[in-house]
Formats: sequence, C-alpha cells, structure tokens
Amino acid sequence: MMRKVALLSLACILLIATFSPGVLAAVDFEARSGQTVRFQGWQFATDVVLDTVRRYNETMGGNVEYNTIAGDYSAIMEQKFIAGDAPDILYGHVYDAVRYFDGGWIEAIDSLPNADEILADLIPSVAEAWTYKGKVLGLPYFTSVIGILVTNLDRMEECGLTEADYPKTWDEFYELIHALHEQGVENPYLPAWYSEQWGIGWSFLAEVLNRGGVTADPETHEPRLTADGPGGDTLRAWKRLWNEGVVDKEVLSYRETDHIEAWESGRYLFASHMAYNIRRSNDPKFSQVAGRTGFVPYQGQPWGILDVGLYLITKKDRDPDFQHDVEAFFSWYGFKNEEGRAYVAERWLQDFMLFSGYQSVMSGEIALEAIRSSLANPDDVDKMIELYENASYPKGVFHVTWSPEFQSFLREELQSFLLNDKPVEQTIEAINSEIARLNKVYGIN
Amino acid sequence: MFRQRMRELSNYQFAVLLVLPILVFLLALVVYPLGYAAWLSLNQVSFFGGIKFTFTGLDNYKEILSSPNFWHAVKVTFRFTVESLVLTMAIGLAMALTLALPLKRRKIIQTLTIMPWAISPYATGILFKYLLRGKSSFLTALSYSLGINKTVDLLGQKTVVEAVTLGNAWNLAPLVGFFLLANILTIPSGLYRLAKLDQLTVLERFKHVTFPYIRYTLFVFANIVTVLSLKAFDYIYVQTGGGPGNASSTITYEIYKQSFINFNLGYGAALSFYLLMLIFLTTTLLYVVWGRRELRS
Repeated sequence: MMRKVALLSLACILLIATFSPGVLAAVDFEARSGQTVRFQGWQFATDVVLDTVRRYNETMGGNVEYNTIAGDYSAIMEQKFIAGDAPDILYGHVYDAVRYFDGGWIEAIDSLPNADEILADLIPSVAEAWTYKGKVLGLPYFTSVIGILVTNLDRMEECGLTEADYPKTWDEFYELIHALHEQGVENPYLPAWYSEQWGIGWSFLAEVLNRGGVTADPETHEPRLTADGPGGDTLRAWKRLWNEGVVDKEVLSYRETDHIEAWESGRYLFASHMAYNIRRSNDPKFSQVAGRTGFVPYQGQPWGILDVGLYLITKKDRDPDFQHDVEAFFSWYGFKNEEGRAYVAERWLQDFMLFSGYQSVMSGEIALEAIRSSLANPDDVDKMIELYENASYPKGVFHVTWSPEFQSFLREELQSFLLNDKPVEQTIEAINSEIARLNKVYGIN
Repeated sequence: MFRQRMRELSNYQFAVLLVLPILVFLLALVVYPLGYAAWLSLNQVSFFGGIKFTFTGLDNYKEILSSPNFWHAVKVTFRFTVESLVLTMAIGLAMALTLALPLKRRKIIQTLTIMPWAISPYATGILFKYLLRGKSSFLTALSYSLGINKTVDLLGQKTVVEAVTLGNAWNLAPLVGFFLLANILTIPSGLYRLAKLDQLTVLERFKHVTFPYIRYTLFVFANIVTVLSLKAFDYIYVQTGGGPGNASSTITYEIYKQSFINFNLGYGAALSFYLLMLIFLTTTLLYVVWGRRELRS
C-alpha cells in the first residue's frame, strides 16, 4: 500500500514538473562562454536593473554588464549601431525597433529556443504593436498608456466637480476646461506638451487617434491628415487653449521630469499624463497629490496611446557559446527565469505599475494588487484596465523607418504652430508634406 | 659617424625634425577628420542596408543656403554670440577690477568666484533652466515676494536667447576675470601712486593706467569667448533643447539635429563647414578691427 502511494506521488510530481512553465521553457540559462554580454538601456530605475543583472550573474554564472545612455537615447543608440559599437541587448521603443530592424541591426525573437512558449504567452492585442513585417521584434519590457487624463481629486472637490462631470471626449474635456477658466479657476490643465520626442508630438498623435483619425495610413504610410478632420480639430482646440492663456506658456520648455514634478506640485486640476506615473503621483515620497491622483475613465472614446518598451537583441556574428549566453540572459531577463517566473516583469509591475505584455503576468493576483495599490481609489482597477484595453497606437507613424525623424519634426512644428500662431491649414499641410518627403527619402511607395 | 650626420643638418632641418612628431600627430588628429567631414559634406549618406555614399557635389551646401532654418540659426547664433561676448567681458572685467582691490579674505573670494568656471556646461544648463523658467524662476519668486504675483518665464520664445546668454556668461566670465586679474596684478604699483598724485579720477586711472596693460588680454579673450560661444552646444542642448520651437536653435544645435537625429550626415557636415567659415570670418573681423591695432601698439 505504502509503495503504491509512493509511486502515485512520484508520478504526480513528475506530471506537475513536466507541465510546469519552468520545465516547459527548456532553456539552459547557465552562461558558457565567459564573454561579456553587453546590456544597455535608458536611465530608468537603474538600481533595479543592476540588482536584477547581479542576481542573474550570481545564480547563472553570467557575465552581463549593464550600463545606461543619457540624452537622446534613440539617436545615440543608432550612432552605436552605425559605428559597430551596439550592445548585445538593448531597450527600444516600437519605432526604434522598426528602424533598427530595417537597418538590419536587430533580430526578431523567432530564433530563440523558447520562442513558441514566449509567443503563446504574449497578449495578442499588445504584441501586435511590435509585430512588424510578420516578425515579433523583441520581448516586452513594459506597456503603458501615454496621454490619459489624470485629476487632482482635492482640486476637483474645491471646484465642485464630481465623477459625473468627467468628460467622455476631448471636445467635452476642453469645454469643461474653458468653462472653469472663465470662472477664474487657476491652472485647470497641464498638457503633456513637453519638449521630448514623446511629448507634444505624441500628444498630437494620441488626440488624433482618440478622435478617430490617423496621421499616416497604417499600411501605405501616406499622409492622412485634413484640416477639417481630427487633426485640424486637435490643432484648433490647442490654439484656443494657448491663445486664451488657459495653459502655462512654460510647458513648451519642460522635459518629461519637469512635467511630472509640475503635476506632483498639486497646482493643476487636470493633466495629460502617463498611466504608470499614477503610482508615483500617489506616493507621498514624491508627490503633494499623493493618494489624490485620480483619472478620467474610458466612456466610449479612448484616451492616449499605447506606449511599449521592448528588449531587443542585436544581430551579430557570435560564436555558438556566446550566442547562447546572449539568448539565455535575454530570455531570463525578458521572459522567465530558472524558476519559471517572469521575475523582472513582475518587479516592474509591483514597483512601478509598468504593465507587462505577458498574459501569465497580467492575469495574476500580483497585477491586480499592483494596480490596486497604485490608485487613489482601489475600486478603480477595472477602469484602469479598461483604459489599457482600449488604447491603440499610431501604426502609420510608428511602424515605419522614418518614425524618429518625423517625431523630431513634429515636435518642432507643433511648438512653432503655437508660438507663432500659424494657421491650422498650414500646419496640417506641413505635417503631410513632411510625411510625403520622408516616404520619398526612404523609398516607401 | 652618426655625430657627423647630425652635424650636417641645417638649423631649419633640425627644427623640422623636432616638430615632425607633432606634425604627424596633428595630421592624424585634425587633417584626417577634417578631410573626412569635407568628403561627407559632398555626399548623401545612408546607413540602411550598409553605409552608402552618393556623391552629390555641392548640393548640400546649396540646400543649406535655401533653408529658412539655417538663416534662423545664423541669426540666433549671432545674437547669442554678441550678447555673450559683451556680457562675459563686462562681468569678467568687473570681477578682475574688484578682486584687484585690497579686500579682506581675497583668497576665499577668488576661490568662490572661479567656481562657475569649474562647473560643467551640462550642470550650468540645468541650473539656469530652473533659475529662469516660469514657476521655478527666481524672478517669479521675487515678483511674489513683492506682491506683484506674476510668473516670469525667461525661457519663453522672446527672451530665451538672453536666458541662454546669461548662463553662458556666468560660466565663462571667471576665466576672463582671472586672466585679466593676473594682468592687472603685474601693473607696477608706482603707476597708481603717480596717478593719485596727479589726482586722476577712478575712470581716468582705469583709462590711463589699467587699460593699456590689459587691452591685449581683452582682445585675446574677446576672440576666445567669441569662438566658444559660436560653438557652444551642450549647454544649450540641456537648457532649452533648441526650443521652445526653434527659438534657441543655434547652428551647432542644427548640426546636431541634422546629423544625429535625422542622420543626414552629409548635410550636417556641410553645416559644420559653414560654422567653421563663420568662426573664421568673425575672428578675422575682430583681428582687422581690433587686433591689428593692438599688435601695432
């Protein structure tokens, strides 16, 4: 009898072990070559990354060296590619990945030994954002939504506003802001018009998309803006905000960190913001609106655009052992570790409310708890998830080689539109012309 | 045998032999990159699918001349340089004259006044961004403390060049000041005693005693400040990023944008030669108008 029980138990253990994610992965994470794997990224939570890399090096005998790039990340990384000095693994936004892929500098993830398992775990709608020419370009670092509307709940109460007053569309939002401004409410809105690649330009791309328009055709990349369409409507709304003094003129000289600090000062009633920053804004260590930063929910019209960060692997001639080391760390860091846990993704979620692109991470209790603990009202978890679910991205602008150049142009053009009171039609024409010019330069269509 | 050969070298040959290593070094360090940049400027360069050069002759140079962005950048660069020059020289001179006075704790004051020079342009950019921008500006604080309650934003479109100039002058002035101070301290003190006997005013003393001793240093530093301002980049990049819009976009910022954001390296290289030309013309003008007179005197 005892023998039967023992055999049954062993069979059960074997069965569980065989089908547990850790064993399914079948990746040997141990480093083999002794060569240094170079890993580079932008400056965000470097202590967390260093700690995770150290953990890998200690447990897997790895030799991974991590460092960061300060300044214009995309531009500097591209210089590294051109100079033949690119790292083995790097961060990238979707449009960076597309450009690097077209440059022949990175590999899609199909070549990884556990590619099938990774692909099966990716959230399909999110993975589509970084699937280009039929290839999945990298492993998910984070997904977030940039350009959602956050609210200062204390100031809302002061202004006599309740959740019932939350606008459903951008037009409703601007009507509310102008009404408040006319009533003498100070600092009603902080737009994300800061001077970064993902500042004013992304705000425009997001609003056009939220209003149901496209800046460039998702397939042909031909310009699609019209002065009487969502692009024109967005610019007219912005011009009115600017000319009537509703927004501070200094926002154009902000960097992203300045924007975050401005919101966390508690001065503003509404702001266009990054979803993941809600956690920070609700943290008393950083913010004067801690516990009082709410957000405008989805009520038929999406807010913002999907922002996706990726881990990318570079295409290089490496000896088999070194290639194994690079892929092993890539998979360990970007997917699951030796215990079958998406350790890094979970940590980003818990510490920073950076959503993951993996179903296994987002469907777990960790995700719910991370979101719940980040919000002013823990009952808003479903509303936050709904915001994410309805966010999309400007494929016509992000899935094309010229994207970084266009974003640089867009930033300057939109700032100039506001500063020099340029006509809407002229600005729409300038944006369309630039897209057409870039298509010509890169031989698209 | 060797000694005999050495003796056969003329003075000129020996001099050439001595400077040969540095000539080779300079050739490698200056001529090669300059030549490569010149070659780039005559091409359209593409990096996709391998580096490709398409020879376009002077097209990049012509295109630049017809670009409104270039002419805007030239105007901004001139405005920034002239204002930086005037402000830096004025502050530097004032510092030197003050530090030459028999002050108590002069050494400590000297150490403190040289500090801005020791701060990197990057840090200066961040410092002045906070000091001069809207809600965090010291002028806004002053305005609220005086009950005016107005936000003063010097990084706006109309005043951003002056705001950038302030930081640049703050960074460069101590260097000018210390060289002028060194110069002033070499002036024989007897001359000041004689000036006192002659009952010269402060201004007259400066004009007839101090100025003749420092005028050549002033000329040299006018050149240095001009060149440093014409090619200032990191500080502008950090403080304003060429903005708002393109309000503080100097030629150096345009070069950066074209070369490293748009990866239009041929165009960027051609732009850098226009900048080189501008530096050459400006310093030549300074020499013709001012320097020749100094050398003659």
